[in-house]
Amino acid sequence: MSTPLCVFEPGPHEGVGVVRMQDAAGKNAMTERFVHEFVAAFRAAEAWAPLRVLVLQGLPDMFSTGAHVGMLRDLVGGRVAPSDILLPKVVFDCPVPVVAAMEGHAIGGGLALGLCADMVVIARESRYGATFMNMGFTPGMGMTRLLTHVLSPALAHELLFTGELKRGSFFDGKSGFNAILPRAEVLPAALDLAARVADKPRVSLEMLKRTLSLPRRQAFEHTHTIESLMHRVSFASPEVLARIEDVHAE
Amino acid sequence: MTREQVMTVVVKHLAEAVDGLDPANIDASRSMKDLGANSLDIVEVVSSSMRELKIKIPRSELAKLTNLDGLVDLLFRTVQESQAQAKAP
Repeated sequence: MSTPLCVFEPGPHEGVGVVRMQDAAGKNAMTERFVHEFVAAFRAAEAWAPLRVLVLQGLPDMFSTGAHVGMLRDLVGGRVAPSDILLPKVVFDCPVPVVAAMEGHAIGGGLALGLCADMVVIARESRYGATFMNMGFTPGMGMTRLLTHVLSPALAHELLFTGELKRGSFFDGKSGFNAILPRAEVLPAALDLAARVADKPRVSLEMLKRTLSLPRRQAFEHTHTIESLMHRVSFASPEVLARIEDVHAE
Repeated sequence: MTREQVMTVVVKHLAEAVDGLDPANIDASRSMKDLGANSLDIVEVVSSSMRELKIKIPRSELAKLTNLDGLVDLLFRTVQESQAQAKAP
């Protein structure tokens, strides 16, 4: 039996659960299997009776690289619908607050996934960016709105248009991330933040989570509709597949 | 443009990408990884350098490189070819 790509386990503090994305070989890229196991890990967390806060963790050097190149090829070829679009909804719909511990790099859809969390901790030395336009197609997974959860609209637009991967330290003093820390301190800080939330009553946490996430959930539905239309146009460009292959060349 | 000028561009972007790296003490026979750059730092150094030098090299070519000297050689050669093409009638 192969190692699971995503797992749930109780955390070190009372009421804190951890979902860990741990596909080292695949750099936590989103494949159909990854999406399936991610959803299953969240379902397992939600079924854990003591759960009050969930920490979403990646690998120490890689939070997630976003959609797998195979999935991108299939999307461009019109062979599949993007299943990774399920992932933001899984995080939004989690009944309790989610803290993203983004120790490693988060790229494209991987960054979008982390930004679906209610609170986000990033690492100074890791890189974060919305690389969609480097591959010639418009952003997806709600990214056109999710970035403004933590960045000013102007800075979000810079990242979306340039596709640049910025070091976490770049965001010092100009972002709304909960903390920007040396990589080794990210997970302990995220767990500590979760513990400070987890002593509240579950029923109140659930209500506050739904209320605070409502604008982003509504924005996500709106954005997903627009982004899907943009994808139909941009994926049809003959330049896109060549750019995807170039960006993913070893 | 000389090879030294290309080296200056690359070193500038490398120093921006890696915390605590002294541009005056970079050994170009070493790889960027040895000099403290992670995989995405390397992507950004190469992308920024190509942008500044106004050239484009396929990633499949870049993937064969093993050290900073090799990168600078490839960038310099491409700059020369680009300049020669621009001068051609």
